[in-house]
Amino acid sequence: MRKFTATLLLGASLFAGPAMAEQTTIGLSAPLSGPQAYFGTTWHNGFKLYIDKLNAEGGVNGVTIAYEQEDDKADPREGTLVAQKFCDNAQVVLGLVNFNSGVAQSTLPIYEDCTLPTMTFGSNPSLTKQGYKFMVRPVANDLAGALLPAEYALGKLGAKTALIVNDKQVFGQGISEIFAKNFQDGGGKVLDTIAVAPSDVDFAAVLAQIKPKKPDVIYLGAVMPQLALFAKQMHEQGITATLIVPDGGYTPDFIKQAGEPNVQGALVAIQVPPMDASPAIADFAKLYKAKYGEDAGPYSIYGYVQGQILEQVLKTTKGLTREDINAALHAVKVKTAVGELEFDDTGELKVAPSYLYKVEGSAFQLVGSK
Amino acid sequence: MSVAETLAAVRPRSSRAVAFLVFAIAIALIAATPFLPNYYIRVIDSLLIYILLGIGLNIVIGYTGLLDLGFVAFYAVGAYSYALLASPQLDLHLPFLLILLVAACLGAITGILLGIPVLRLRGDYLAIVTLGFGEIVRIIINNLDWLTGGPKGIARLDKASILGIQIARPVDFFWLLLVVVLLAGLVAWRLERSILGKAWAAIREDQDAARGIGINTTNAKLAAFATSATIGSIAGAIFGASQRFVSPESFTLQESVLIVLMIVVGGIGNILGIVAGAAILILLPEVLREFAEWRILFLGLLMIFLIIVRPAGIVPRSFGPDKLIRRLIGK
Amino acid sequence: MLGNLIQQTVNALTIGSIYALIALGYTMVYGVLRMINFAHGEMFMLGAYVAFLVLSMLVGDVGMAGAIALTVAFLVAIFLVGFIGVGIERVAYKPLRNSTRLAPMLSSLGVSLSLVTGIQILAGPQPVAFPSFFPVVRYEVMGGTITSMQIGILVAAFVLMFGLYFLVNRSRIGIIVRAVSESRPTAQLLGINVNGAISMVFFVGPLLGAAGGILYASYYGIMSPSMGAVIGLKAFTAAILGGIGSIPGAMLGAFILAFVEVGGTALLPIVTHGVLGTEYRDVLTFAILILVLLVRPAGILGEAVSEESIVYKREF
Repeated sequence: MRKFTATLLLGASLFAGPAMAEQTTIGLSAPLSGPQAYFGTTWHNGFKLYIDKLNAEGGVNGVTIAYEQEDDKADPREGTLVAQKFCDNAQVVLGLVNFNSGVAQSTLPIYEDCTLPTMTFGSNPSLTKQGYKFMVRPVANDLAGALLPAEYALGKLGAKTALIVNDKQVFGQGISEIFAKNFQDGGGKVLDTIAVAPSDVDFAAVLAQIKPKKPDVIYLGAVMPQLALFAKQMHEQGITATLIVPDGGYTPDFIKQAGEPNVQGALVAIQVPPMDASPAIADFAKLYKAKYGEDAGPYSIYGYVQGQILEQVLKTTKGLTREDINAALHAVKVKTAVGELEFDDTGELKVAPSYLYKVEGSAFQLVGSK
Repeated sequence: MSVAETLAAVRPRSSRAVAFLVFAIAIALIAATPFLPNYYIRVIDSLLIYILLGIGLNIVIGYTGLLDLGFVAFYAVGAYSYALLASPQLDLHLPFLLILLVAACLGAITGILLGIPVLRLRGDYLAIVTLGFGEIVRIIINNLDWLTGGPKGIARLDKASILGIQIARPVDFFWLLLVVVLLAGLVAWRLERSILGKAWAAIREDQDAARGIGINTTNAKLAAFATSATIGSIAGAIFGASQRFVSPESFTLQESVLIVLMIVVGGIGNILGIVAGAAILILLPEVLREFAEWRILFLGLLMIFLIIVRPAGIVPRSFGPDKLIRRLIGK
Repeated sequence: MLGNLIQQTVNALTIGSIYALIALGYTMVYGVLRMINFAHGEMFMLGAYVAFLVLSMLVGDVGMAGAIALTVAFLVAIFLVGFIGVGIERVAYKPLRNSTRLAPMLSSLGVSLSLVTGIQILAGPQPVAFPSFFPVVRYEVMGGTITSMQIGILVAAFVLMFGLYFLVNRSRIGIIVRAVSESRPTAQLLGINVNGAISMVFFVGPLLGAAGGILYASYYGIMSPSMGAVIGLKAFTAAILGGIGSIPGAMLGAFILAFVEVGGTALLPIVTHGVLGTEYRDVLTFAILILVLLVRPAGILGEAVSEESIVYKREF
């Protein structure tokens, strides 16, 4: 037994090694397989890009950053297993977790129980209203995401009537309800709300219903590829209303899959500034392409920004325990590629940047920001 | 000498050792579980929930021979029973055991509701109708926003407790699930051996002949659906309590198919087979988690391979828990 | 109103004809093997991916493909997928031919999972833009809008379905397939090449499925690894509705399903005064399926069940 203990101690001392090269681990969880894998992977890639850069420069104050990446398959049950895995691993001091609000709902209580701070990506407004002390949300929630397009439609487009279509999923339904509310509060009229199934590809029957109603704008709360399919079929059926879609549409695929002529004038609202908005972002886009051989995904910039937040947290934290990191995370104030970010008491961004783009030709033209 | 003959020659002597080994491993696993890190306990909890679901579905598929592709509906009924009766959603906070009872009753009722229309149907027609039933339940849950929260689901479910003992940590659920799985397994195993079980077997082998010899196939089938649904619903209630969040995403058709696969890969009609099937289909992807998509591909290919090599499942129908016990005590 | 009616009818016909192409594959396999081939939806998906691959090899930039390249890609893809179908049967189903009925079905689930994930790994999980096979022109017919795409799909689907009809009812191969379908043991006794007939079915089914997949991808403008799952389930439902094993039944079921879906979307909110919105469309679809099966337990054009239950008593 004594020999065993001695071996253990020896092992421990070996691992503790030179005190200079401290290491800390970040847990990454997102869908890496299945239909949403593209979003999860590219979001994480943005983060890894920044972390690898930091490590190459010798880490932050001598602390190098490792990450453990896990697939939650966008499934709440798998999410809880991953959450527990991170909780059990004492090396993990921060989670960069859950692309989907539904998964976050099931994992946040677990992270809270084991006092593991997380940067949650799910954008449903309810997440920050449940009193969790160990989470922050470094992106604008859907409340912010749906305000700008409603104001733009009423003001700049002079729209009087809107028609809402949603896919009856957490994100699509949530954000379209908020858009509808904002649109009505601003004096507009919502003609009808139509639900489609998330697996639908044919909207001809729905569009035939919409056509005689002649709305000024159509808000489509859904994700790709439905956004592109809807835009294409809408144009083919000769409906001329302005289509407004949430962040999923901010990808070249939206224009490519719908067909360029079919999406001209469509509006896309997202929390991401234009890739040429600032040298920092242009720099990011270039680095990303150089490292991964493809253009950044729609949320990659947020992974990158989360890396920047982490850098600042490590600079200001008192120690590398979960509690210290959590305190530093809530107090963080940092200039990132998308502007200066800080969190309020609930973990929500104080100022959440949101942007509105219009499809012109094969590109997105910025028409508003907030 | 062929492989089969060699095996046959070796088997009688080593069978007791095998039985002993199986028992030893099982007991060692159970004894070790509470000392494992929480992640492993959670994985084992997950495994036990699927074994419970498998035991439930096996009554309809394995014993009675009816292909049910909508089993997840009962799972959902149970989970939503817990979610509605122990959460701020309706501001109800009933005790866990009472909810288990309610869930069991609701499960049985839904089981019979599904059973009645499909009594006349056979084979693949039955499969598609049960599939449709499962989808109908899921879509209704997804759309009754005022009651079920719609796609958002219901969050912040109460922590469960039994007679004042809180059931919240993964290890609490491990003990709870272990007891429930053993109970459900015992019930299923006794049922299979009862008169009702013989009636199920008769229906499975030849429905017309079963009716010919005076078996009331209607009642026997309804009993199968009701028992199976009750177990599924109890599994759902425990799942809801352990995850403390329910949403329609957990009750898709894929989940139903997964449970069917578990049963068939493991060994249809046999509780030990279900354990084997669950171990392969639930544990393996968990162990291989870091391989993301590759693990799913591997799982698909492994499934084809296993079914071709052992079309009747890894554990044969005849090798039930009784055989195992008998071998252990050397009879 | 009339315009709306015309337009919805054309919408339903277009979707229905794609469903029909896939439903035929389910029903033919069922006819000869009494097996639900869950991997059939994946043939539909493979069709689109193979065609895309061939196109990009032919012309480099897929968006620029001309009519000849498109036709070549279409033909190469459907025949290739036909052969893939035969290969899958040999590897994954043939060893299970004398096993329980559930075994090949579950093997096909394994095949389906492997194919979807394989394509996801090879081509990426995200949907890809697919070129249009017909130029899109809009026609206004009495207030309704019909596109040249829809007409093209209808024509192509009907040509393929009539081709199948002649193959099954007028050709020697058709007689063999029908004989095996009627009774495999008897066909064997008569010296019919049963394996050949089964291979034929596993060639023609995936071929039609692949054609459906290409038409679908070009109609909607995208393809994705998971496209087969949803449409496969619908086509399977259609085949059961029409009476699985019956070729006219599969076509009828497909069109009924399409009309129920389109009609459900159009009429549900009106008929129920907004109580049940379009989100209940699939509930309506399955409810109608269940009702039909209650009245006709073997589907609309299916044969009575009793005979099947005598020959294939042991289901599991």
